[in-house]
Amino acid sequence: MNPDGRSIRILAVLNSEEPHIFIDPRKKIQESQDVSAFLASKAYSDIVTFILQLNRAMFPAKLPDGTVQTWPLGTDAVQFSAPVRQLQRLLSKIEDIVQEVPPDTGPRRFGNISFRKWHEVLESRASSLLRECLPAELLDKRSPTGEGVTAEAELRAYFLGSWGSGQRLDYGTGHELSFLAFLGAIWKLNGFPESDFGVEERALVLGVIEPYLELVRLLIKTYTLEPAGSHGVWGLDDHSFVPFIFGSAQLSPAIDVADLTPEEGSLPDAPDTGAVVKPTVVERERKTNLYFSAIGFIYDVKKGPFWEHSPMLYDISGIRAGWGKINKGMIKMYNAEVLSKFPVVQHFPFGSLFSFERDPNAAAPPTTVHTTTGPQGRPVVPDAGPPSSSSARPSMDPGSKAPWATAGAGNRAPPPVGSTTAPWATGRHSGAPGAPSTIPDTSRLPPGSVASTRAPWANTQAPPPPPGDGGLTKAPWAK
Amino acid sequence: MSDLDRAIEQLRACRLIPESQVRELCYKARELLIEEGNVVSVDAPVTICGDIHGQFHDLMELFRVGGDVPDTNYLFMGDFVDRGFYSLESFLLLLCLKVRYPDRITLIRGNHESRQITTVYGFYDECIRKYGSANVWRYCCEVFDYLALGALVLGASSELEPTMSGGNDITQSTMPIDDGELETEVLNSRGEVTMSTYRPRQRSSSDVSTDSRNISPPRDISAAPGQTGAPTRTGAPGTGASGYGNGSAMTSRTGAVLCVHGGLSPLIDSVDKIRLIDRKQEVPHEGAMCDLLWSDPDEIEGWGLSPRGAGFLFGGDIVKQFNHLNGLSLVARAHQLVMEGYKEMFDGGIVTVWSAPNYCYRCGNVAAILELGEDARNGGTVARSNGEYGRSNGVVGADGVASTVVSPGRRYRVFEAAAQDTRGMPAKKPVADYFL
Repeated sequence: MNPDGRSIRILAVLNSEEPHIFIDPRKKIQESQDVSAFLASKAYSDIVTFILQLNRAMFPAKLPDGTVQTWPLGTDAVQFSAPVRQLQRLLSKIEDIVQEVPPDTGPRRFGNISFRKWHEVLESRASSLLRECLPAELLDKRSPTGEGVTAEAELRAYFLGSWGSGQRLDYGTGHELSFLAFLGAIWKLNGFPESDFGVEERALVLGVIEPYLELVRLLIKTYTLEPAGSHGVWGLDDHSFVPFIFGSAQLSPAIDVADLTPEEGSLPDAPDTGAVVKPTVVERERKTNLYFSAIGFIYDVKKGPFWEHSPMLYDISGIRAGWGKINKGMIKMYNAEVLSKFPVVQHFPFGSLFSFERDPNAAAPPTTVHTTTGPQGRPVVPDAGPPSSSSARPSMDPGSKAPWATAGAGNRAPPPVGSTTAPWATGRHSGAPGAPSTIPDTSRLPPGSVASTRAPWANTQAPPPPPGDGGLTKAPWAK
Repeated sequence: MSDLDRAIEQLRACRLIPESQVRELCYKARELLIEEGNVVSVDAPVTICGDIHGQFHDLMELFRVGGDVPDTNYLFMGDFVDRGFYSLESFLLLLCLKVRYPDRITLIRGNHESRQITTVYGFYDECIRKYGSANVWRYCCEVFDYLALGALVLGASSELEPTMSGGNDITQSTMPIDDGELETEVLNSRGEVTMSTYRPRQRSSSDVSTDSRNISPPRDISAAPGQTGAPTRTGAPGTGASGYGNGSAMTSRTGAVLCVHGGLSPLIDSVDKIRLIDRKQEVPHEGAMCDLLWSDPDEIEGWGLSPRGAGFLFGGDIVKQFNHLNGLSLVARAHQLVMEGYKEMFDGGIVTVWSAPNYCYRCGNVAAILELGEDARNGGTVARSNGEYGRSNGVVGADGVASTVVSPGRRYRVFEAAAQDTRGMPAKKPVADYFL
């Protein structure tokens, strides 16, 4: 991610004069090599542009009179446009479903089975919810020739992808990314009023994204959702990433319209970066800041010393160069650990608004271990040499295809309640033994869960097909 | 005091040992483990433990509750590393104890004892952070390749000696029979009995052949269970406790207990087949070895796809048949978080034991360990039969009545996460490259 060119990049809206064919979004990232195609795609470029645009808007502003305008949660300085208020309505209607679907009180291992019901209700109402809260002319946009689908199909895909997995009973950064894409898609469809840079962006972050994150936290607590792909203490956070980006921007030095976002420093009266270990400061700051809001949630759900259950955030809190430095690092890290990770982005569907087509301006695909192959490669044979450097993971042989990670057969297996998922597990759509295979995934953020490890070589959740027919198979010796 | 004892002392204090010492330790451990079969035979009494996941302070709590090594024999069913903050301290301590007291502690492999998984789920990061290079991670991974795949506990008693609760009777006894055998007992971390179950005492077991192999497998191994005259199990609801109500002539010997990290495999119909695996490798993505470390029991019939993307789901019929064919009374496994620390399924045919309390600092679960006592009636000795014990031989009891194995008496000690307030705040480490 290459922040801030000379001019502020803004996600381009569709030209309403030109015919546009909408496409029912489909998954395109089938194996880990496809991630480099994604990183050179128009969709990637649009996602990065949108996130940087939102990020920049959250930096405090230098006003012409020399004062500084900050953008805390709940500030009167940010007005919500009608479309933003409609999105807030949408979130509150989704929250209502939680009341309708109380958590199951029966025996369970970890994730609450009622979340599946919650998800079903959401899916059944998705169309009417979108109709209620988004303008019909936006949803019904379609190619004049009638080709393709309506815009609704694309919006619906990202909308439904934003709420965790009803099957796996988990939630992670892939779902968070889907919600950003939902907002980005509305943006591209010209769903927000034209205004000065930052006005709608700030309304989206403070008025929609933070309430979305709060709603997700409610879901996580109510249905004890597992963190998708948790690294335990060795990840940034169990579930979320963007609040650490936008929250650190809120506390960074103020910028002028023409300024680049700063490389370091903090807003003068910002809390110390080390304050995340002080529960009283966290309690105070979480009301106004997205970073501390996310830290506060960690305190809500975790017991134990902060430095022990969140060592990465603890180490980051030792950065002396301020919130600007943290913000830059978070963006780089998001690019490497979310956007470049097969287990996260494999679920992202591509249509016309977020297109898998190659971006003609894309740089040559990055080839570092952080971006393409990820931290860990295929199993290294015993006595294989050490990783090339202390920070590089043993990388996989790019030429070899593994026969295991095929798309699994059948779809009848229950979800992994509280289990580790194999990071290599493939999609659970039907397929027979010998179906196209994928390389074991190498990424650090697999869609597994805290309670449950998933196989790193799994695409989504299907295992290698059992012998015989798909679905429930009998042991070879059983009749 | 030997270097090894010093290393144990240091690790018990949650302080790491130098890299050179780790290297030496791992070398010794490999020499030891290479001599073990894929399925280690372990004599009761033994305490069976599930996932640890680097929760060092909780491992110390486990030893406090279950007794120290070498006073208590332990069998750890894998997943020592990943996710927690102290995978290194936990695994290295267990490894030191293994080298120091090889007959007192058994370590088998979990799905996280793998290069690929540890690079995803944290242990690799931890090694880099704590040792500054991947060397220690490599030494440990080499040990992982030598860990056994399973263990067979032999000579467990069918009956528990009741625990004296010191007047603190908070027992919910489900079946206080005058002449009953104490089958299961659940204790909290203060040693108080919170639940116990009984089964009717067997009569006249001695007049039946005492040949422990005298159990009845189906003649046709492909026959469905249920056609084989398997006895109907009854027991206290909710405990999975089993009892035999027909009172007919049966041996009351407990079958062996198979311990694996994950579960069964469609490619493995006998314990002997596990012995044929070439285990000294990275955990494969499929096949028998993979399944043993990745599979989960589930309320299904037969086999199902695992949502984990590795291993399979297997139902009660599979467990019943496997236990029957192999003369097992129980499969003990770990691999899945269970809020109560242990969970018996399929009429007590399989149990999940989970030993990481408040998993990942947030799950709110308790942990458990499972104690199997030794069968004193046999003079406390069990022939080291390398798994032949209790194995099916296709012979039906002389009188044609199915004799059968009885499940072992099971004492679960449940414990909570260790107190956390005494740990000081360490210095902050250099941050990841992104922030430089």
